[in-house]
Amino acid sequence: MNKFSVDLTNCDKEPIHIPGKIQSHGLLIAVNKSDLNISYISDNASLFLKAPAKNFLEKPLTSLNSFIKQQEAEFKIEDLLKLGVIKKTFDSITPYPLVINENPFYLIISPSENDWLLEFEPVTLQYDIQSLIGRSASSILKGKSVSDLLKGAVVEVKKLIGYDRIMIYKFLDDGHGEVVAEEKESDLASFFGLHYPASDIPKQARELYKLNLTRLIADVNTVDSPIITFKEYAPLDLTNGSLRAVSPIHIQYLKNMGVYSSFSISLIVNNELWGLIACHNYSSKFIDYKAREGSKLIGQILSSALEYRQEEEDSEVVEQFKDTATIITTHLNRDKYLVEALTGHKRTLLDVTKGTGVAIIFENVLKTIGNVPVETDILELVAWLKINSDESIYYTHRLSEIFLPAKKYKSIASGILACSISKDPDEIIIWFKPEQLTTVNWAGNADKSVIFDQGSASLSPRKSFEIWAQIISNTSEKWFPEEITSVLRIREIIVTFINKKANEIRLLNEKLQAAYEELDTFSYTISHDLKTPLTSIKTYAELLLKNKSIDGNGNKMLERIISSANKMNFLIREILNLARVGRSELTFETVNMSSLLKDINAEIWTAFKADNIELILGQLLSLKGDKTMIAQVFTNLISNAVKYSSMEDKPKIEISSYTNGEETIYAVSDNGIGIDNRYYDRVFELFKRMDNVKDIDGTGVGLAIVKRIVERHNGRVWFESKLNAGSIFYVAFKNR
Amino acid sequence: MKTPDIFYVEDDVDYAFFMQTAVQELKDTINLTIVEDGTEALHSLQNFAESKTKPKLILLDLNLPGLSGLDLLKIIRDIPYLKSVPVILFSTSDDPEDVQASIEFGANAYLTKPDGYDNLVKCLHSVHDFWFNQHLRLN
Repeated sequence: MNKFSVDLTNCDKEPIHIPGKIQSHGLLIAVNKSDLNISYISDNASLFLKAPAKNFLEKPLTSLNSFIKQQEAEFKIEDLLKLGVIKKTFDSITPYPLVINENPFYLIISPSENDWLLEFEPVTLQYDIQSLIGRSASSILKGKSVSDLLKGAVVEVKKLIGYDRIMIYKFLDDGHGEVVAEEKESDLASFFGLHYPASDIPKQARELYKLNLTRLIADVNTVDSPIITFKEYAPLDLTNGSLRAVSPIHIQYLKNMGVYSSFSISLIVNNELWGLIACHNYSSKFIDYKAREGSKLIGQILSSALEYRQEEEDSEVVEQFKDTATIITTHLNRDKYLVEALTGHKRTLLDVTKGTGVAIIFENVLKTIGNVPVETDILELVAWLKINSDESIYYTHRLSEIFLPAKKYKSIASGILACSISKDPDEIIIWFKPEQLTTVNWAGNADKSVIFDQGSASLSPRKSFEIWAQIISNTSEKWFPEEITSVLRIREIIVTFINKKANEIRLLNEKLQAAYEELDTFSYTISHDLKTPLTSIKTYAELLLKNKSIDGNGNKMLERIISSANKMNFLIREILNLARVGRSELTFETVNMSSLLKDINAEIWTAFKADNIELILGQLLSLKGDKTMIAQVFTNLISNAVKYSSMEDKPKIEISSYTNGEETIYAVSDNGIGIDNRYYDRVFELFKRMDNVKDIDGTGVGLAIVKRIVERHNGRVWFESKLNAGSIFYVAFKNR
Repeated sequence: MKTPDIFYVEDDVDYAFFMQTAVQELKDTINLTIVEDGTEALHSLQNFAESKTKPKLILLDLNLPGLSGLDLLKIIRDIPYLKSVPVILFSTSDDPEDVQASIEFGANAYLTKPDGYDNLVKCLHSVHDFWFNQHLRLN
């Protein structure tokens, strides 16, 4: 016999399928499958059959025949059983009407492990309910949405069984249940929206709900009838039976709620227990087998409708997401800028999930749509994500619990779904979901449910059946798998787009490089080709000067020709130098600057006949770079210094250097005419000359060459200057 | 055929004229032979080898139509008889790459064409001094 002593601590282990008892409104007889002898019988058989129950044990099934009157006298229960065995189902045979002691009964046959369960229960319904069930089914299926379906079902089930309260109880992810539809007598308090802890329906009960789709507890106050047998150590499995006695814990639970009779119908969606249609009556009320079967049918119809509608609703969402992806792809292909394409149209990144805000950071620019935290908070979050997630996708619906600073904007972003869009961890999209301050109304306080009785925790669930509310904070709606799939889809699209763009930029860059090289080659070639005829012009002019027959006037003109040719020649040489900076390879070496500057200065002082200029040399550190080019830089800088200070009273030029971290910096200063700071940006531009140097020869190329050389060395060049006071030019070369 | 003191390959008739004038001003006894292109130069070089006449100095313009100055330089260095003749590459360009290539191919010197007549005369003076006097003495 079942010796299991149950209380709240172990009720999930209670073997409820072998209670050893039945509800006493019916009669149970089990016959052995092999010899058809009666192996178990409920003790209340004595009441129904008017003969001691134990007298029937281990007797053949036929011994019942004299106690039970059938419609067709020759047809015995044994024949019925055999027919069912041949047909492999009792669905078309039972309920089989018969009469015991002048009272109508149904016989329902179902299999147990080694036995057939023969359950006899009273017939109470006087009319056929088939047509009612048909109408119910069609009116339920009118419901377009899931909630309409549910509402329709409770209304119809109430009509069918007439209980005081019909609820649909839905199991949520963590196993706890919520009342999602209700139809009740108007004087009853509503349970709609109440939540029940997972422990209210223990695991093994849920398993039974999946196997046996209806469950009637006819009267919580009747005394169960024990099953008697000679097989004391082989308890009878009542999984498929309908008379199975109820766990005392469950009885207490119902009693606490004031429920006398309870009936439930399983809702199975995709082979999982989706929920229950739970029916309560506040007085004892038996439900006729046929009405139960009708309710079961409604449950099955609802189940398949739910399955279909849920899929339909899910796929609508999925379609919507896919649609967004397609539209965004179109924008990406048409628009020039990524962020603009993702955020600037009617359908945006925000439509990729059901989030209420989205932020994208791309190329260091933050752009948001919808409800999002302030910029500094987003940036802080991104920094945190960078450290804490190395996955391309990260999501949570309880952000502030793992990232405390998020608490201050939990009403906007309790849920985040972040997705990186490039190798740079700072380039990211984050969707936000607001806090769902859900007030969950629990039915009965689970914490109060265990009552200590004489030192031991014994059963008394839901003694205080008051509603208590728990506010679930810091939590957003969960991110659905469909949303994550949608984000991954968009990510793929964006990453592809970025790669494509990067490729285009690379190609453009290559073209630009080629164009630059071509330009250098062009300037070089054209300058070079100009040199030869120019030399001819000058040379012929010089030869003519030697001709005695030309008069003084002619000689002057020839001298002007020669002077112009010289200017042009100088300009051509400068352009050649500039073009050469771009064309030639750099040969890095350590350049001894004091010796290089000595040569350069000697040359310049001779060329400009600059003996009146004072030259002060400071520390001359060596530089790393291309010697020819460095020479060019200093030739140009010092030439300028000389050129633009030579007309001063006491011209003075200083050259010195110092190290600053990774750079060596040279300063070339003069006390010449200086540069108007308004033109600061134009000083290094090609062919640009300032208006205060009109009378001084120059080409406007020298400093452009300096800048180009310094940049090819990854160095820097700048200046400080004051009009009519002098200039200091700085060049910084890397020390590596 | 008279052995030239200077054998000069130059396609620019103007510069050829300046050279002629400048050489005469320098010293009218110097024999200067000028040819205009690579093919003609090749022909003359073969003649020198066959007739065993050796110019004292060869000047090659770098940029010539057809065979370039560098091509001619290679050919000269491959003719055993002319191998020892000093060759100077003579060009408008002062591109370091041109200079380097010329020296690598065995030029004895590289000269950037002087700018203007007076400079050319000065230049020829020093060339004459080095390659006709000092250089010969060294030999």
